[in-house]
Amino acid sequence: MKTCLIVDDSKMIRRVAGRILQDLKFESQEAENGQQAIEKCYSRMPDAILLDWNMPVMDGLTFLKTLRQTPGGEQPVVVFCTAERDVSKIVEAIEAGANEYVMKPFDSDIISSKFFQAGLLS
Amino acid sequence: MSRVLSLRPSYYEALKRLTLELVGINLGANHPFLIETRLATLARKEGFEDLNTLIDELFSRGQSRLAIKVVSALLERDTHFNPDPLAIRQFAETIYPKLLGDFPGETLRILSFGCSSGQEPYSFAIQLNKLRQIYPNTRFDVTGIDYPSPALDRAGRGQYTHFEVQRGLPIRDLISYFDRHGEDWVVKQELRNMVTFKEHHLLSNLGELGQFHVVIFRNGLSDYSSAAQVRVMRGLSSIVVAGGCLILGTDDETPKLSYGFEEQANLKGVFMKPKKATEDEIQADAENRIVRPTVAPIPYEPQRKTPVNRG
Repeated sequence: MKTCLIVDDSKMIRRVAGRILQDLKFESQEAENGQQAIEKCYSRMPDAILLDWNMPVMDGLTFLKTLRQTPGGEQPVVVFCTAERDVSKIVEAIEAGANEYVMKPFDSDIISSKFFQAGLLS
Repeated sequence: MSRVLSLRPSYYEALKRLTLELVGINLGANHPFLIETRLATLARKEGFEDLNTLIDELFSRGQSRLAIKVVSALLERDTHFNPDPLAIRQFAETIYPKLLGDFPGETLRILSFGCSSGQEPYSFAIQLNKLRQIYPNTRFDVTGIDYPSPALDRAGRGQYTHFEVQRGLPIRDLISYFDRHGEDWVVKQELRNMVTFKEHHLLSNLGELGQFHVVIFRNGLSDYSSAAQVRVMRGLSSIVVAGGCLILGTDDETPKLSYGFEEQANLKGVFMKPKKATEDEIQADAENRIVRPTVAPIPYEPQRKTPVNRG
């Protein structure tokens, strides 16, 4: 079973995303901010990461840049999942190493479509 | 909580008959609530007091333009960008290079038959534009046709919601080919120039559209009645150039008759129309079929009866 780390400071978003991932047959883990997410990645690198942008302690962009410099950190498919909709923000995320980008609000169709494009689903 | 239906029951059967007669499609198990929701939106847009008034007007005056709008609203499909990734991959990797080789220097014409709100033709245009990096100086045009409907109007405007652009469209394509307009995303002019949308009755004569190298008709054939399937396939066969192809959905059933197409064993849902042989090719083929003696012919000798050794 593939694994996905949900990184978001909103408990409700983590719960909704968790249900979607369950339907897609993913085993999910949760982190409330970038710092927690980095620690989870050190102990076990997931196949995919759903990543919020604005979070306390460490934001999504800083987490992503740190992850991509970590040994093995180039492996996970990172899907930014954020309320940020400016094209400049999207470009910044892609340049930092995001594979895909989801603008909130989202639904299961959007997540599965992004996972399919990233080769996580067939 | 149960919802109360507002449309008179006899109108459901009448609408099903109308759809079958007008466009050859069986509405089948479409739920009355779905019919009501779609027509209620149309009734509001067309300025009718309620749904029943719209249907009264339709059946009492027999307005063909209104009938088309009603049927289009009933048949509107939920489409995505890159709706059939396998079909697009086969097109990019195999079909397009073959067509470029077979029709050098020609503008390749692609038709999306039943394009609804336009995501399919835009997806193919994006793919074709990317292929210019591999095959520079190639020319193409993409045409989307469907019945007149709000969906087709939207296709022409190229305006999509936040949800629509995120279904099937990679983020890099979104920022390359779309501009953000408030909450929506609008196709950039560069991409819009590559795609033309036309109102067209899909069962009418397609000849006026001209000839196409590729016709895409995904996930629609099975909705048609048997008689309409024959009509649609004959129509499509008449507008695909010899050497061109028809792309059905990769999950579509294979048509029962060939209609001049040959199913491609290595390409799912792809049907090629064999290229007509030129006079030279026919001559060469005929030459190859003649068995030519490689040694001097043996002179004819009358057959002699020889005794059979039965021992």
